[in-house]
Amino acid sequence: MKGYRKYFGKKILWFFITLFFAVVLNFVLPRLMPGDPVANITARITAGMSNVTATQAIYNEYIKKFGTDQPMPVQFVRYIGNLLRGDFGQSFSQYPRTVGDILASSMAWTVGLQLPAIVTGWIIGNILGAIAAYIRKGFDKVLLPISLMISGLPAFGLAIILLMVFGLGLRVLPLQGGYAQSLIPAFSLTFFKSVIYHYWLPFLSIVIIFIGGQAIGMRSMSIYELNADYVKYSRFMGIKDSKIVGYVFRNAMLPQISGLALSLGTMVGGALVAEIIFNYPGLGTTILGGITGSDYPLISGATLIITIMVLTTSFIIDIVYGFIDPRVKAAQYD
Amino acid sequence: MAKKMLEVKDLTTKYITRFRENIYAVDHVSFEVEEGKTLGIAGESGCGKSTLALSLMGYYFPPLYYSGGEITIDGRNISGLKPDDVRKSILGTEIAYIPQAAMNALNPTAKIIRFIEDVIHAHDPKKTKKDIYDLAKERFEILNLPSDVLQKHSVELSGGMKQRTVIAISTILSPKVLIADEPSSALDVTSQKLVIKMMYDLMNMGYIKSMIFITHELPLLYNVTDDIMVMYAGQIVESGSARQMVFDPVHPYSKGLMDSIIVPEEGTRDAKLTAIPGTPPNLKDPPKGCRFADRCKYVMPLCQTSFVTMRRFGELDDDGNAESQRRYRCIVPVHELKETFKREGGLRNTGGAAI
Repeated sequence: MKGYRKYFGKKILWFFITLFFAVVLNFVLPRLMPGDPVANITARITAGMSNVTATQAIYNEYIKKFGTDQPMPVQFVRYIGNLLRGDFGQSFSQYPRTVGDILASSMAWTVGLQLPAIVTGWIIGNILGAIAAYIRKGFDKVLLPISLMISGLPAFGLAIILLMVFGLGLRVLPLQGGYAQSLIPAFSLTFFKSVIYHYWLPFLSIVIIFIGGQAIGMRSMSIYELNADYVKYSRFMGIKDSKIVGYVFRNAMLPQISGLALSLGTMVGGALVAEIIFNYPGLGTTILGGITGSDYPLISGATLIITIMVLTTSFIIDIVYGFIDPRVKAAQYD
Repeated sequence: MAKKMLEVKDLTTKYITRFRENIYAVDHVSFEVEEGKTLGIAGESGCGKSTLALSLMGYYFPPLYYSGGEITIDGRNISGLKPDDVRKSILGTEIAYIPQAAMNALNPTAKIIRFIEDVIHAHDPKKTKKDIYDLAKERFEILNLPSDVLQKHSVELSGGMKQRTVIAISTILSPKVLIADEPSSALDVTSQKLVIKMMYDLMNMGYIKSMIFITHELPLLYNVTDDIMVMYAGQIVESGSARQMVFDPVHPYSKGLMDSIIVPEEGTRDAKLTAIPGTPPNLKDPPKGCRFADRCKYVMPLCQTSFVTMRRFGELDDDGNAESQRRYRCIVPVHELKETFKREGGLRNTGGAAI
């Protein structure tokens, strides 16, 4: 157990070192960009004003508020302090909303769209892949080419095809948005129904591609495992096929689990294309808005969230993997 | 006469390729193994040794198919049984197998004891975990394995321990016939000896009734088996006692095989090592006559055209008993073959002409 504790400690240490550098980059990069964002805001607010003193006063007020009058190290300490309190600063483009507020609301949409899509796609894809590997013959001959074609489609391609077929052609599903534009977000049945109605196309565009990729991976892993020596030996010891399929499934799943964890980690930034095409109010759309509006705090807040998600999930995989695969555990002890 | 544990008559099995070609990898093989005896099967790679082992168990997976013949274990005919009956009542209990790749035979993500539970439950679902643990512990002790191995995964074991674990699992249901396919090829010489000694211990204790060793290492067979059978291109070409086969081979192929052994004995350093030139025939379209004809240095025109059957020949063994087991597959009479070998002088002479 001592070796494992050491491994665990090392992983935690590296987690924080990586996180620190990510935070530093997040702080420095926007500040290296050309242009003075505070001047931009002032210009927007004071548009049409002719009083130079007043404009200057507003500018000074904002500089103080955003802290850009302080030297960089001071700003950095303040930035870290704010981060620790969960304060990502104030958005420029959607001022006076805070970045935290904007991210929280768009995160909910993104996670709500992506998490079910990824989990559903992963489960269905893996089951189909395992069945194809076990049955082979006709089922495999149909599934494999379809999976290859689907997983090869670019995300926007499938999204547009779905839009054309269900939105424009059959007119059964809405073309864009997360809910009907006539509604105001509220906890009502009408709003909920509208959300579900708008959910299908973006959901399907993610799920279908995910199923294809997972099925291909699981199929080849299962075929490999089905021919492994331990499968033959188990058969010759008289173990039932249903039990052996269980062994194979468990072993073939291992790489798939890290695939799932990585997908969940990159989930928040991953659906940019689907969100933009369907004009879905998620994090992807928010980031795009932030970039076009030179909203540095919003961009760095969003990238920081993504960084933390990726780091956390890969950290969790590293730890959990040791428990599910004894070979990895043995390597961790070394 | 001792009880016959395994009796095989005209067993023929085939591989069906993707192009629907039949390859008879085991062709009319007949032999028997008595209780307490060990049979060695020797031959080059690809001669059908491993396929024979798989076929003996009566459990076929594509592309291997049963084609004909009978297998009787301890008086019970198992050919023609349904696959699920074979699985439940034959595999592991009547006949068990130690695979060639024993190192990779264990599921990497299951604890050893879980796998043993699965093996036993496949035949006796009612057995409690406690009973299984006690049985496994007892058998592991015989094989000099500490009981905490049961709670480990295969990656935590050394090569030798894995090998012994596989032997323990293969023999846990006390099979009547144990087939060991290259049981020691991956081990160093001292571990080899130990492993084989342990298998004999298991047989002497009555946990296994008879053994079949499959290997290309002839010196090993001579040291550990009672009888040896030489296979070539899916057929048996000669069989007899270990002593006869090593010191007095009759078939030109077995003679060639024995001549290609490297024995660390005085004087053998200078002797020329012989290898048998050529390659075995393609079994998709086997030759009409003798399958070894193309590589035999004593070949005659008749060998290529006439079908050669197995012939028995009587000979007195050391105790003066008629050795009915001795058989060979060649159209040349035994005494002529022996004279030819003698004329060539010594065991390691490469010269010599056709008869």
